[in-house]
Amino acid sequence: MELKESIICPGCACLCDDLDIILENGRPVAIHNVCTWGVGKFLAEKKLRPNKERRRLTDPQISRHGRAEKVSYEAALGEAAAILTQARRPVIYGLANSGAWAQEAALALTANLKARLEPADLAFMAPFYQAVQKHGLFWAPLEVIRDEADAVVYWGANPLHSCPRHAVRYAVFARGRFTERGIEDRQVAAVDIYRTELAGICHPYIQIDPFQEAALAEAVMASLNGHPASEDAPADADKLAAFFANAAYGVIFCGRGVAYGGPQVFDRLAALAARLNEKKPFVLFPLSGDFNSAGLYELLLRETGSPFAPDFADPAAPTSQASPVDFQEVDAVLVTGADLLWFLQAEQVQDLKKRQVPIVALSPFADRTTAQARVCLPVALDGIEAAEIAYRMDGLPVLLRPVASASAPPAHRVLADLNLFL
Amino acid sequence: MIGQADILEFLPRTDCGQCGLTCAEFAALLLSRERSPEECPVLHEPDYAGYIEALHELLAQAPPPVMQVDAERCNGCGICVAMCEYHLGNCPEARLGRGPRFHDLVVFHIVNGTAVVVRQDLCTRMLQAAEKCSKCAEHCPTEAISFKL
Ligand code: SF4
Ligand code: SF4
Ligand code: SF4
Ligand code: SF4
Repeated sequence: MELKESIICPGCACLCDDLDIILENGRPVAIHNVCTWGVGKFLAEKKLRPNKERRRLTDPQISRHGRAEKVSYEAALGEAAAILTQARRPVIYGLANSGAWAQEAALALTANLKARLEPADLAFMAPFYQAVQKHGLFWAPLEVIRDEADAVVYWGANPLHSCPRHAVRYAVFARGRFTERGIEDRQVAAVDIYRTELAGICHPYIQIDPFQEAALAEAVMASLNGHPASEDAPADADKLAAFFANAAYGVIFCGRGVAYGGPQVFDRLAALAARLNEKKPFVLFPLSGDFNSAGLYELLLRETGSPFAPDFADPAAPTSQASPVDFQEVDAVLVTGADLLWFLQAEQVQDLKKRQVPIVALSPFADRTTAQARVCLPVALDGIEAAEIAYRMDGLPVLLRPVASASAPPAHRVLADLNLFL
Repeated sequence: MIGQADILEFLPRTDCGQCGLTCAEFAALLLSRERSPEECPVLHEPDYAGYIEALHELLAQAPPPVMQVDAERCNGCGICVAMCEYHLGNCPEARLGRGPRFHDLVVFHIVNGTAVVVRQDLCTRMLQAAEKCSKCAEHCPTEAISFKL
């Protein structure tokens, strides 16, 4: 038995750094302090919950006429390169669940292919960036939020599902420098269209009708500006306005629900945060669950100057697109760090199948996308079997060290090798 | 009173992990009757002949578990660890919202995504029968913790 202490979990963008892992013959068997979400990554065969097993991919495969055939690594790369170079409109998709080196390699590949890079969470993050470009950004690391924020709102977010230890480590229960009594020193509220487990800890818990979120944010703004609520304003706007007015340091954590509420919701929330920021620190914080979503946008901002999807279709004048790609135009996809077919709507999946759009999938696990892929390339688990860099949700870069041996190469190597085959 | 340490005496104490836990955690789950001695494969080896029977005898004398975590419900969020009244005074890591260190004396550890009661005897509820603490259960978002005392 071997004990490795203070390991970082690449399960979600919290990147918890306090895991203690017991290894037996080089494989993790017992992991302390990890949540259910993270344990699935470390233990592909979960002994405690055998019904949730995930199958690992072992060999590179090429599928022809629905039959998968094991091939050499080079043969798979050759086929993938042929597919992508012959395509008129290739897309490199995913990357929010990839390490920073894999993201860099994917961006280089995208440019070389004159393709478009489509972040898996673009529909969520692009409206966020558009809103802060318009209204300004106030930002703080999670430790500062833990130490200072006395008013926390989860908006369209259920952290207990997307990043289970977020509430306990940073936002609600942790005791910080000026929040010594933890939850007793904080006001915690939530806005959502469903009733979730958060209802027990959030007061007020505002359950709102779908597509009423922008109106609620506007009504809160009006109330803060001293205007009485109009008759058709969503209920509880005054309650939420009072909640914000009482805060000394506030933060709104936005979940995926914000994007479902329509493109204006982020805009209204950013306006609200900017208004509150005139008097006190107030952070608008997107909660992307994927473990290195922040790293991808850091890379895009650094390399292209824009947080949107880079498109090299015209290599002389590359563009950045805020609206999601129209998959009906796409004629070849490389997927890594995401499960494309799980994410797309049923009609979109049907359309890809009907048009026989070839998919090249890099994945550690068998998933819906690998099941339909023309070429499958197994990769190591970033941060567990291969070293990688990841950016925590607040932008803190950390080095993930491998704790187990890999049976497949890391995704960044496969992407770099593929680039050589073009 | 038979406790976790007494049970541990009859386990291999190698923390081999074949049960998915350490020996100490396995002992805790024996006490809470969520596991049985047969589930440690090492105890079936000839070196440990008689240990399984001895453990059954011990467990027959051990107090019934008063605190239970429903593993099906628990999501390993660790809120119970941070809110526990005993940890508040005795585990600085848990105060800060971090996980306790491996060797820290705590009521709960989170192991493989589930809260495991490792030292029920440290729970203040067991000491102060009059004012019963239930902070962990009150704050658990999935209502996974229950008491029988
Ligand atoms: S909250 Fe996220 S980073 Fe932390 S243990 Fe769970 S999955 Fe891993
Ligand atoms: S299988 Fe037995 S020896 Fe191995 S860790 Fe579990 S209890 Fe200990
Ligand atoms: S608070 Fe509840 S769900 Fe969270 S770890 Fe503890 S028992 Fe499990
Ligand atoms: S009941 Fe026991 S375990 Fe639960 S919070 Fe109180 S002291 Fe901790």
